[in-house]
Amino acid sequence: MSGGPISIFDTSGLMPHGVCLLWQPELLALHVASDLMTGLAYYSIPMALVYFVWKRRDVAFSWVFGLFAAFILACGTTHFYGVWTLWNPDYGVQGIVKAVTAAVSVLTAVALWLLMPRALALPSPTQLRLTNHALQREIGERRQAEERYASFFSNLAESLFVIAVRADGTFAIDTINPAHARATGLDPDVICGRPVDAVLPPETAAHIKERYAACVAAGGPIDYEETLDLPSGRRTWHTVLVPIRDAAGGVVQLLGSARDITERKRLQEELVQTSKMATLGTLAAGMAHEMSQPLNVIRIWAETALTRLRDGALDRGRIEKVLVLVAEQTERMGKIIDHIRTFSRRDGGGSQDFDPAESVQSAVELLCHQYELEDITIALAVSEEGWLVRGRPFQLEQVILNLLSNARDAILDRRSRSPGGGRIHVDFRVRATNRTAIISITDDGGGIAEEVLSRIFDPFFTTKEVGKGSGLGLSIGYGIIDSMGGRIEAANVDHGDGRRGVRFIITLPVIRPTQSEVEFAHA
Amino acid sequence: MPDRFHVLVAEDEPLAAMAIEDFLSYKGYRVTVAGDGQEAIERYRADPADVVITDLRMPRMDGRGLIREVRSMSTTLPVIVMTGFLSAEDELTDGSWTPLEILRKPVNPQVILDTLQRMLGASN
Repeated sequence: MSGGPISIFDTSGLMPHGVCLLWQPELLALHVASDLMTGLAYYSIPMALVYFVWKRRDVAFSWVFGLFAAFILACGTTHFYGVWTLWNPDYGVQGIVKAVTAAVSVLTAVALWLLMPRALALPSPTQLRLTNHALQREIGERRQAEERYASFFSNLAESLFVIAVRADGTFAIDTINPAHARATGLDPDVICGRPVDAVLPPETAAHIKERYAACVAAGGPIDYEETLDLPSGRRTWHTVLVPIRDAAGGVVQLLGSARDITERKRLQEELVQTSKMATLGTLAAGMAHEMSQPLNVIRIWAETALTRLRDGALDRGRIEKVLVLVAEQTERMGKIIDHIRTFSRRDGGGSQDFDPAESVQSAVELLCHQYELEDITIALAVSEEGWLVRGRPFQLEQVILNLLSNARDAILDRRSRSPGGGRIHVDFRVRATNRTAIISITDDGGGIAEEVLSRIFDPFFTTKEVGKGSGLGLSIGYGIIDSMGGRIEAANVDHGDGRRGVRFIITLPVIRPTQSEVEFAHA
Repeated sequence: MPDRFHVLVAEDEPLAAMAIEDFLSYKGYRVTVAGDGQEAIERYRADPADVVITDLRMPRMDGRGLIREVRSMSTTLPVIVMTGFLSAEDELTDGSWTPLEILRKPVNPQVILDTLQRMLGASN
């Protein structure tokens, strides 16, 4: 008998295992039955395991179940082979089956120990239950908080709305609260979830989209006043927009709150109009004089011509001279009347772009002749024209008239103590570098006491005697300049030649040069 | 007319002054025109007038200043004031400035002439 691998499959010299049992039927039956039962069980278990893993796809470490199945299958095979070798001495094949079983067993055992730390790290059902419980509690709390905020959103008197910023940069109305629905007249069922363009008139939509884009660009809260035509009518709002970001930092929503300030604006306008009429009142005496001059000229020339006509001493040349003169004088009066009419008119609803230099010139023109008669000179220096500011021209003119009127009062008051002429300097210039227009009005009326200077823009504050000033002029002026995005300041000045006075400085943001300036710059 | 009456007109509105000058010259008066109170005083000193017609609001020296000045030189000189605006309690209306007449603008030259003749007649 030669050696080598083949020799283990040579069964010629071997005896079946039954011989060891002396072929006793009871022993054979016991072994055969036990091995078959064990083998069948071992074949059934892997199938159950594989079925389990196949059904429960989420089982962790499913490959270990595969190893277990292979190991048990191999064990089952060794039991079946134990029955075979009772009658057939194929111990070589049986050895190989056992060797395979050993290999799979060892592999499984090693893998199991290696896996142990990770298996232990898996949460136990108890742990999972506790975690679930905590999560449930948190969900409950969050839901409560959400309900609380939803209740705020729905019941606050403040108008609130949420705008969705879509990935393509367009805006849609996410939701509006009942207060906003009431105030705007918009129906949430109709507009929510739809693009801004689809639910609002084109002009309104374009206007508010500009604001939303500005908020996204700013990356932070912005606030502004705007007048919109909505189903509830034309109303003015003070709106605050706050951007809401997602985890990546992109702006996905805008949270808005709006307050209806239509009534407040109306009262402000009323106050401005009242103060304007009061300004006109203080100018009335001077106006009457201005008007009586041309009227006087017409009357005298007409009467003179009439006298000559009755005497038969009126020649054609004189008639022509008188009529031309009358026409010129009526034109002069017409201009004064026009000025008063436009000044006292309510300036419509909206602002416009205008050249502030024109308002300055117009105010000075209206007063300079009258002031001259009281020996007060107004020196006007306009160094630049053609820059535009946004606001209402006649409101700016009103502020300047008011300042000039205050300057005159101060000069006359000072003159009652120490005689002498008065000079008012009005300067207009533009600082192109920081795009501001500066109007300065300087008098030589003696100045304002320093302790009073800080209060002169307060409403109802006045240094004039009862009945001479409402104390509203400067505070309304302050409001007008503020609404134009500018500011007004006052300081005492010493002219150096013994004269002292006050300088008011109005600073306004200029928008752009007018068309002619642009053409000039490109020429 | 052997010696024509001399009228000094102080009025800052040249067209009104010219018309008055034209009318009074036509009616036979000698007329001197001044653009403000200061100029009127200078002309009066150089060539005293028989009557002064003045506006109230004028640059440099106003009508009140002019009246005060001429009154210091002559207490009997007739003065005619032309004004567009005068309050009821004005010092000019209290009688201490006589002989003085106030005419409201717009004035009728015929009324100026009548007033002039009456005042000159009274002073003669």
